[in-house]
Amino acid sequence: MSNMLIGLRDWVDARLPIMKAWNTHMARYYAPKNFNFWYFFGVLALLVLVNQLLTGIWLTMSYTPSQEEAFASVEYIMRDVDYGWILRYMHSTGASAFFVVVYLHMFRAMLYGSYKKPRELIWIFGMLIFVVLMAEAFVGYVLPWGQMSYWGAQVIISLFGAIPYFGEDIVTWIRGDYLLSGITLNRFFALHVVALPIILMALVVLHLLALHEVGSNNPDGVDIKKYKDKDGVPLDGVAFHPYYTVHDLQAIGVFLFIFCGIIFFMPEMGGFFLEYPNFEQANNLKTPEHIAPTWYFTPFYSVLRAVPDKLWGFIAFAASVAIPFMLPWLDRSPVRSWRYRGNITKIMLVSFVSSFLILGVLGAWSPTEARTTLARVCSIIYFSFFLLMPIWSSIDRTKPVPERITMDGGIGFWGSMGALLLILALTILPLQAVASSSYDCGTIACDEFKADPRDQASLQRGVKTYMNYCMGCHTMQYQRYNRVAEDLGIPEDLFHVNLMFDPDVKMGALMQNAMDKDEAKKWFGAAPPDLTLVSRARQPQWLYTYLRTFYQDSSRPYGVNNKVFKDVGMPHVLLELQGMQECAPGPIVADNGGVKRDPLTGEDILEDPCGRLVIPVAGEMTSQEFDKTVYDLVNFLAYSAEPMVTDRHRIGMYTLLFIALFTIFAWLLNREYWKDVH
Amino acid sequence: MVSDRVNSGRRTFLTVATSAVAAVGAVGILTPFVGSWNPSAKAKAAGAPVKADISQIEPGQMVVVEWRGQPVYVVNRTVSQLEALAGLNGQLSDPESENDAQQPAYITGIERSSIPNLLVVVGLCTHLGCAPKYVPEVGVTDMGGAAWVGGFFCPCHGSKFDLSGRVYAGVPAPSNLLVPPYSFEGDKVLVVGVNPENV
Repeated sequence: MSNMLIGLRDWVDARLPIMKAWNTHMARYYAPKNFNFWYFFGVLALLVLVNQLLTGIWLTMSYTPSQEEAFASVEYIMRDVDYGWILRYMHSTGASAFFVVVYLHMFRAMLYGSYKKPRELIWIFGMLIFVVLMAEAFVGYVLPWGQMSYWGAQVIISLFGAIPYFGEDIVTWIRGDYLLSGITLNRFFALHVVALPIILMALVVLHLLALHEVGSNNPDGVDIKKYKDKDGVPLDGVAFHPYYTVHDLQAIGVFLFIFCGIIFFMPEMGGFFLEYPNFEQANNLKTPEHIAPTWYFTPFYSVLRAVPDKLWGFIAFAASVAIPFMLPWLDRSPVRSWRYRGNITKIMLVSFVSSFLILGVLGAWSPTEARTTLARVCSIIYFSFFLLMPIWSSIDRTKPVPERITMDGGIGFWGSMGALLLILALTILPLQAVASSSYDCGTIACDEFKADPRDQASLQRGVKTYMNYCMGCHTMQYQRYNRVAEDLGIPEDLFHVNLMFDPDVKMGALMQNAMDKDEAKKWFGAAPPDLTLVSRARQPQWLYTYLRTFYQDSSRPYGVNNKVFKDVGMPHVLLELQGMQECAPGPIVADNGGVKRDPLTGEDILEDPCGRLVIPVAGEMTSQEFDKTVYDLVNFLAYSAEPMVTDRHRIGMYTLLFIALFTIFAWLLNREYWKDVH
Repeated sequence: MVSDRVNSGRRTFLTVATSAVAAVGAVGILTPFVGSWNPSAKAKAAGAPVKADISQIEPGQMVVVEWRGQPVYVVNRTVSQLEALAGLNGQLSDPESENDAQQPAYITGIERSSIPNLLVVVGLCTHLGCAPKYVPEVGVTDMGGAAWVGGFFCPCHGSKFDLSGRVYAGVPAPSNLLVPPYSFEGDKVLVVGVNPENV
């Protein structure tokens, strides 16, 4: 058997230089033996690239790139395709993970001067990869056709309108329409799945070929090729395979642990990896309240917003992305690594990273005057780091660089932690000064809500309320009846008889209703939205508060208004259960965020004419019973927004345990091999 | 560089063990990729059992029911058509339905049906998937004249089946027409796609 395989290998090798390629890039590629933590991220970027390619190919198998179908097809993947949700979360989390590892990889190059001669081309290819990756992420984010897809794309494409003379024509040309439409979606799909991945892969090959031609830099920034043994092997180098393959294997284990932890336990990452408004289908007539690009674009977006002029804002934005290309020629220091540079470099690096992080956070927040000022200060720091580099890098003092690499150089673990703390402090303190509190639920704070997808009794009561009070107007068009029956433990025949209006509708059908959308718009002012995903778009605590805060307001068409959603078109459908709430004077919130009290008596000042809600005539339920009913209803809505949530947690536990086991083996294997080196 | 103190036994063990764990992991990673190719909930909903009213089918009449996108032929056979079946055995490839793949276990005998007169078969030729034509008339000249007692004829490659969907010998089709799983709700409703409860 093994003879046959060797024979096959030799047969191919005689016709194609596979052994030569293997030796050049793996078995006889000698890398410095003092690689540290920062050197894991190149391999991890490659791993994420493979993940994106594979999951991406699989997603295209079920995705429909059209204005009408795109959003629904993503939910089809999430619900109807077996394991589709895993593939989608792998891809969406992979997109963010890609930027995490690429940013850390780039920072490594800046720490150790890896862009300096003779590695300028590696840096240029790397920067090109970064720019193409940004384009790939941008067009990819449009594909789910949610509200953030649409309005994010609208903003970014409109940027090109800043170009004098041709601006508007270019914008129209990019869209292929007079508004962002299905035509744009189709071309972005082609770019995302075919054109840009090909360019990306070609650039990755060039990046690696250039690297393997000149050899890897190292934390000391010394040239290991100066001292070689009699076979021409660098004395400070070790063969990439097996030493760095086993070395990277442990990092892959740790990375996968974190990566899968996010996929299975927090795939939205608090709204940063999957933004909440994107669970609502694109609507070209309604902008979400707060638009923020995905987190990996926010530093550059902040630079854009910091400039009070459309054209110059665009130029600053483009410059902030492009200026790192110049790094190899801006850096005039004779020394590569920061280890042998002086304090100026350290100060500049720390302030650069902090300002970049601050810009990132500010880009995700809505702008205020104080924030814009901070963004301007940080933009200036960002640009001065590069533009003044020829000066500060040449006047900075340097220490003598050792002839050979060191195994204990740098600032060590605790030193690194100290530096990290310093950077975090420098990032968080200025941000705290410009932070502001706002209410999550319109004019008031949200009431607490904790969904419990395992409480089947609650979900069963919730679906009953939903079918009786909501389904007449609101569809749940991405969810199937039989899925609900199965997940909630309701026998299909009981479900069909007791919970479905139309006996002719099949159990496998999507939960549609008969209401005419155009008529509904006339009746309510806005067509009742589909509720499948409302709990992901709005968040459950918002729904829970909203459904309990209708109050009498005779100025409104249906005689009610809402504390959370002012002037909402929806009538109070649960009126008979709750009874009509009426406004009563209540406390107001003081400037410091607390309840405003009389300084003499200590009693609340009841200045708000609608600060409390009271129920003069009770409904069918007591207030506690009503809260419980709404809890069950919202619990059901939270379930329907992500019906696989219990599967996700269960599979996640096994996956993480398995990866932990793998990491232990990889760690032991690495320790075993590296005994040769130490 | 490699020192003499290398414990090659342990090194081999760890390499094999890590590879084995990685291989298990690879299978785990493959699961969603392979699994996602199975019929989705949408396909399953479209392929759900279908119901048909059989009380209105006249003797000798055939109706076509669509199940999983396939035509299912439902024929209410007359007494004379049923009586003619036994006489055909000599001309058929598999008169006793011995090929188990072509019908559920509860479909037996020369009638190949649960209720003797009611034939339910998937109307796709077992040769290359064309839909055979229903030719109930006796003695059709093109079909072999007086010997023809009614059956199905596939226009694509000339395969012939009798009124139990049994294939004639000497035609391209290798096996009898497929009988789908089916059952009844009361006397009037045929459900295609669901086995009877007692089997």
